[in-house]
Amino acid sequence: MTDKTDHLAALMRQSLKGDQLAYAQLLQETSRFLRPFLAKRLSFTNQVDDLLQEILLSIHKARHTYDGNRPYKPWVYAIAKFRLQDYLRAYYSDQLHHADDLSEMENYLHENVTESAISYESISGEVEKLPQKQATILQLMHQEGYTAKEVAEKLGMNESAVKVAAHRAYKILRQKLEK
Amino acid sequence: MGNIEELIARLAQDTAAVKPVPHPYMLSLQWMGWAMAYLAVSLMFSGLRPDLMSKLHEPLFVAELAALVGIFVATSLSASLLSFPDMHQLRRVAFAPVITFALFVAVMFIAWQADNPPAPLPTHSFECTMGITLVSLLPAAWIFYVMRKFASTHSHLAGCCALLFAFSIGAIWLRLYEVNDSVIHVIEWHYLPMIAFGMAGLWLGKVMLKW
Repeated sequence: MTDKTDHLAALMRQSLKGDQLAYAQLLQETSRFLRPFLAKRLSFTNQVDDLLQEILLSIHKARHTYDGNRPYKPWVYAIAKFRLQDYLRAYYSDQLHHADDLSEMENYLHENVTESAISYESISGEVEKLPQKQATILQLMHQEGYTAKEVAEKLGMNESAVKVAAHRAYKILRQKLEK
Repeated sequence: MGNIEELIARLAQDTAAVKPVPHPYMLSLQWMGWAMAYLAVSLMFSGLRPDLMSKLHEPLFVAELAALVGIFVATSLSASLLSFPDMHQLRRVAFAPVITFALFVAVMFIAWQADNPPAPLPTHSFECTMGITLVSLLPAAWIFYVMRKFASTHSHLAGCCALLFAFSIGAIWLRLYEVNDSVIHVIEWHYLPMIAFGMAGLWLGKVMLKW
């Protein structure tokens, strides 16, 4: 383990002197040990790839703060954790934003249903015209009374993906109802 | 996966020899050197308090100055460590300001207890905060400018330490310049604002030290 760490530190020392091959090897080895670290914390492969790219860019930007005389991995993990936190913060704030939109949309839909006596049945024709996945989600949630979590389990989807799909469906329906 | 390989190839092509930044201890020494030179110039313009020599025989005044210098040293050290993504793997040292602040609070508490009967309050009040702020602005701007070249992963704390470092220069300057023996005044208009600016540094660090 120490040998490996020393090897990485040595590669970084060479990289700082401008050795391109050493730098490429260092980044490859870095991405190799960072990938499982990120995969454990993120759900999708594309998220892991995106974040890994961002981390590699950050390592490149911050390489002048590493002198090669201390262990390499703690330095890299400090950057990786920092970028991961940033990424998750942005991701969850986006989710929260979607959830806010969704609850707004649900309120709107419920208001309309009560005010103008629109029931699920009365707009089921419009629902059927939606993309199949969205139509199924709305049917399960509003006709059969499942929660988003239950729908996610039933359809083998992520709960947030169900909410996003429902949100998009509400948007389409709202536009149609407004017409 | 292919994107990662492409990115690595591109980054490797981009790389040129890079000079690593100095060790944080050296960095901190440099910063303190510049700050002391700035303090000396400020005192040359403003002048020293006329009773400074006699005040330097008072243990509590000396203890207060020493505690302030302790904050100056510890925050400079901490700001330099916090500029590195991994705090140069000296995490414990980075939290040195906690100890110096505890000492400072203890000294001020003893000074406050000993200030009996209380020394008369000076006629001025917020002017002291203004003076400290004006003197500290330049070091604050400079330290943020320097720290932006690093890669802090604790930008809030780094910003806080940077501002405390800058404002401790102002606080030391005023203590060496102003003829004032009121502990209450000093706490209220010198040190509490200094700490408040340090807290503002938490936000400023987040904004200014993004990378």
